[in-house]
Amino acid sequence: MSQSHAATAPSAAPLQPAASSYAVAATRALIIGIVGLVITGIGFFAAGDAQAFALSYLAGLSFWIAISIGILIWILIHHIFDASWSVTLRRLFEQWLPNFKWLALLFLPLVIVSWIKPGAIWPWMDLSTPLHGGHGTVGDDILYQKKSGFLNREWFTGAYVVFFAAWIWLSARVRKASFTQDRDGDARWTFSNRVTAAFGIPIMALSLTFASIYWFKSLEYHWFSTMYGVWFFADCARGALSIGVLMMLWLYRNGGYKGILNNNHLHSIGQLMLAFTVFWAYIAFSQYFLIWNANVPEETFWYNLRELNADGSTNQWWWVGLVLLFGYFLAPFLYLLSYRNKIIHERIRFISIWILALMLVDLCYNILPAIKGGRGDPHAFISTNLIWVLSTVAGVGGLCAWTFLRNLPAQKLIPIRDPRIVECLTHHE
Amino acid sequence: MSATTQPHGIIATFEKTPDLMRAATLVRDAGYKFWDCITPFPVHGLDAAMGVRRSRVPRISLVGGIIGFCTGMSMIWYMNAYDYKLIVGGKPFFSPLFAFPVSYELTILFTAFATIIGMFVLNRLPMHYHPVLKYDQIHRGLDDRFFIVIETRDPKFDPAATRALLAQAGGVDIIELAE
Repeated sequence: MSQSHAATAPSAAPLQPAASSYAVAATRALIIGIVGLVITGIGFFAAGDAQAFALSYLAGLSFWIAISIGILIWILIHHIFDASWSVTLRRLFEQWLPNFKWLALLFLPLVIVSWIKPGAIWPWMDLSTPLHGGHGTVGDDILYQKKSGFLNREWFTGAYVVFFAAWIWLSARVRKASFTQDRDGDARWTFSNRVTAAFGIPIMALSLTFASIYWFKSLEYHWFSTMYGVWFFADCARGALSIGVLMMLWLYRNGGYKGILNNNHLHSIGQLMLAFTVFWAYIAFSQYFLIWNANVPEETFWYNLRELNADGSTNQWWWVGLVLLFGYFLAPFLYLLSYRNKIIHERIRFISIWILALMLVDLCYNILPAIKGGRGDPHAFISTNLIWVLSTVAGVGGLCAWTFLRNLPAQKLIPIRDPRIVECLTHHE
Repeated sequence: MSATTQPHGIIATFEKTPDLMRAATLVRDAGYKFWDCITPFPVHGLDAAMGVRRSRVPRISLVGGIIGFCTGMSMIWYMNAYDYKLIVGGKPFFSPLFAFPVSYELTILFTAFATIIGMFVLNRLPMHYHPVLKYDQIHRGLDDRFFIVIETRDPKFDPAATRALLAQAGGVDIIELAE
């Protein structure tokens, strides 16, 4: 028997508990963030290979960009479906959104480098970059020429500006409506957010797809896969759900969510985590399977690079691929089938951290093999590059958590005047 | 009522949802096993008040899924790599890769079958007759009344004590139901 029905009206629940515990945690997050960014900064000078460092930074930064995109999409999906169970979670997600400005700022160096030293990060930006195997340069390459209308620095830069502007703008809209409703209780803010969601979701779908193509897929611009945007979406969605679980459990332990969070909220978010585990597997498998089945060299090289060295020996990425298959799909899939694993706090916290860790590995799998050594073999997964990935994840994550924790006390902890707040607090299977 | 047939149980009527919830908690805590609530609509939280455990259907579903997956894999292996060896598109006779989509579909199909069948079996469906249907007021349970039925086969059942418990729980029109 569960205690899932205990959450009736939480009359005594503090709507804004002691802000000091947030301040302590925020300071801690800021310290982690600064230390991480300082280590990354050291890497900037210490790393021998500029592209290796830049792509490690990109992988670490993308981890948080993906989570933030996922968070924004979940808010929009919440509104479009007029969902009730996720009203309280939505407020936590809203408080995460101001991070887009930091992420835009942290992405800016990559754009600047693209103009100062074109080709240093994305090889196609410099037409004189030689192709591997002595096939001339990027500029001579018919496959580049045909794609140059899309793959050029001006469009790349424009996309960076437009995408981040769109994410920041949509975030500001949903936040403003939600916070104003806290004060005036007007239902029209709910309707206004539904309209934002209706046009926001296509904007998110397009922007995240093209962002993933520009930032990751274009690193090997010969390659093509129609699954790529959906793959990135799956990572965004899974990362955001996992972070959502960690936020809710942290607030529960800290006291703010006592009487607010019940087992059914965790069960619902756990079900979504399970669904998106299957979704990720579905698209990742489909991408692999279609390429394997068609067996066309233009496509298979992308996976060959992630399995074999030029001399035919198995490289580390082969093992990374298997870790993703069993660790990012099979293990969380079997784990999340269980009801108890979804509602016992320690267990769902464990799988959330697990999924986040494997999501980082998935991003590395997609980005880092583009760093190639002398014979065209990718750098190994376990190498100094991984240090810069991890330091960036810690640095950017600390900064994002700091923003989140500083924002929390500024507004009500739950949207107390949302029309569906009572339904949410008494959420039942 | 003849002395040879044992009655099905005792039924009590409740007017409001909170009355039913409170009564269900009392009956649960008194340790009864064979009893049920009849309500005109789903009452959230009633399963907890009754002490009903989570459904066992998911376990049956899991078994169905595993059987489906294995069926898909072994079927394709048997057909293409054993019974009638066939090369398709230069691929191996058998690979889990091309067997996967079919296995995956069969996993879903067999899970769905197992879930439906499991639900029917555990609920003993289809059930065309139930003793409570003989109660002339039972139609109110589809409309504006709540009932609790405690069956005589319950080891804790005692005609006087059970009746007293239901009365104490706030039940009215406490009546013995024929089998």
